Amino acid sequence: MNQEKRYSDEFLNAFVDNQIAAEEKSRAYVEIQRDEALNRQVCELRKLHDLVQLAYREPPAPPAHAASGPDSGRARLRFGVAASFLLALGIVLGTQIRIPESATTPQTVLTPDPVAPRAVANVSSRQSALPTRPSKAEVAVASEPVQTAVAPTANLQQAPAGTTAAAPAELAPIAAQREIPANAQTKVLIHLARDDATQLSQALDDIEGVLKHYRNIHLNAHVEVVVNGKGLELVRTDTSLFAGRIQRLQREYDNLTFAACQNTIDRLAREQGIIVRLLPGVITIDSGMAEIMRRQNQGWAYLQV
Amino acid sequence: MDLLDFFTRSREAQRALQQARARLYRVAYAWCHNAALADDLVQETLSKALKHSAQLRDPKARDAWLFTILANCFRDHFRKTREMDDIDEIEISDEATPETESSRAEIVGMVRTAIARLPKGQRQVVTLVDLEGFSYVEVSQVLDVPIGTVMSRLCRARNAMKTMLLPEMQQNPEITRSIRRIK
Repeated sequence: MNQEKRYSDEFLNAFVDNQIAAEEKSRAYVEIQRDEALNRQVCELRKLHDLVQLAYREPPAPPAHAASGPDSGRARLRFGVAASFLLALGIVLGTQIRIPESATTPQTVLTPDPVAPRAVANVSSRQSALPTRPSKAEVAVASEPVQTAVAPTANLQQAPAGTTAAAPAELAPIAAQREIPANAQTKVLIHLARDDATQLSQALDDIEGVLKHYRNIHLNAHVEVVVNGKGLELVRTDTSLFAGRIQRLQREYDNLTFAACQNTIDRLAREQGIIVRLLPGVITIDSGMAEIMRRQNQGWAYLQV
Repeated sequence: MDLLDFFTRSREAQRALQQARARLYRVAYAWCHNAALADDLVQETLSKALKHSAQLRDPKARDAWLFTILANCFRDHFRKTREMDDIDEIEISDEATPETESSRAEIVGMVRTAIARLPKGQRQVVTLVDLEGFSYVEVSQVLDVPIGTVMSRLCRARNAMKTMLLPEMQQNPEITRSIRRIK
């Protein structure tokens, strides 16, 4: 009984959890071994410890809708960014499309830009085909087909990219009338992970279209192109079919960055023995996916091409 | 070389966060006994950890830091919901284990029920110590309570669990044998 008094419940818990000094523990160990009641208490505490471990060794899996691991968080974030971007774009386009009501010559609005992406031509031709200036209701109905028409040409997975790329040509005169804050910041991350030459060419069209659009509307924007996986071929000196064009873009637009995934570079070296040499001006980042996640957390718009 | 170190550290940090996910989920589930809520808490924890990763100066303190964020997320959640859940209404997945099921599942159900019935503070302390092996000092930092409180909560939690669990186990020797096999 004396020993039980000497060793409080708190002390016995600390003994079992290995939270007391070694010297004190060894002294207590001897006494606990001698006393049956204390010994039983310690055994029970150890048993409880084991039971708790056992009870949560295999907790039930999270519900299916949330069980896709860390990607689900990214997907939600990506969806959120895309949705916000689409909403903002809708508001901007809605405002711009109303302006022609007061314009005297609709042809001004429909003037195509020869260097704009093909998506622009689609929009322009579609609008030019209209016999007269569309009413508000017609524009509202037409807006959805325009976006769907853009997507296959621009080969974008998300509508905002296509619509953003399409915007400069037909809306440039209107954009010039809008008050755009000089300090406005737009940050877009474009993700390239494919090696198809046609798709890459179209992706470069889209990138150039986006950059041109921002320049036309005097928007202080930054575009970062992240390449990983097969997309890395775009910026490799030995495989890039568009080296000249990339260098021209870099010269023309100082707000454009090409970033290559170091993980992909390492994997090529490890698995295929390829020592990657990048085009001049292309930077490396630790991981393409990590960069995308970081940028999304920083509020960048994310477009996968 | 500094740049290389930075990237290496960044990669390590990402990997460590992924590895911590399962452990965070296990503890979060032990706290709330709701798989969906536990998953949400872990998502929120990792999201905050990624956002504030620069705050972590010592990588060795990463575990305690992550569980501190989890404890804050858990506290904020119950602050919002004002702890309206009645403990008797919480469904413990293994609670209604049929007699035909294995004794292991029976033990798991009994222990989870016992832990779910503990007050929140005691539940947090006992799971952090027993599941994650945190020292009392670390638990005190994670939960932001004095170390004396950690010791008294742990003591009360284990006494309550002893009362709830051990008599039943003594009545059912099959369960006791299972525990011995597990050890």
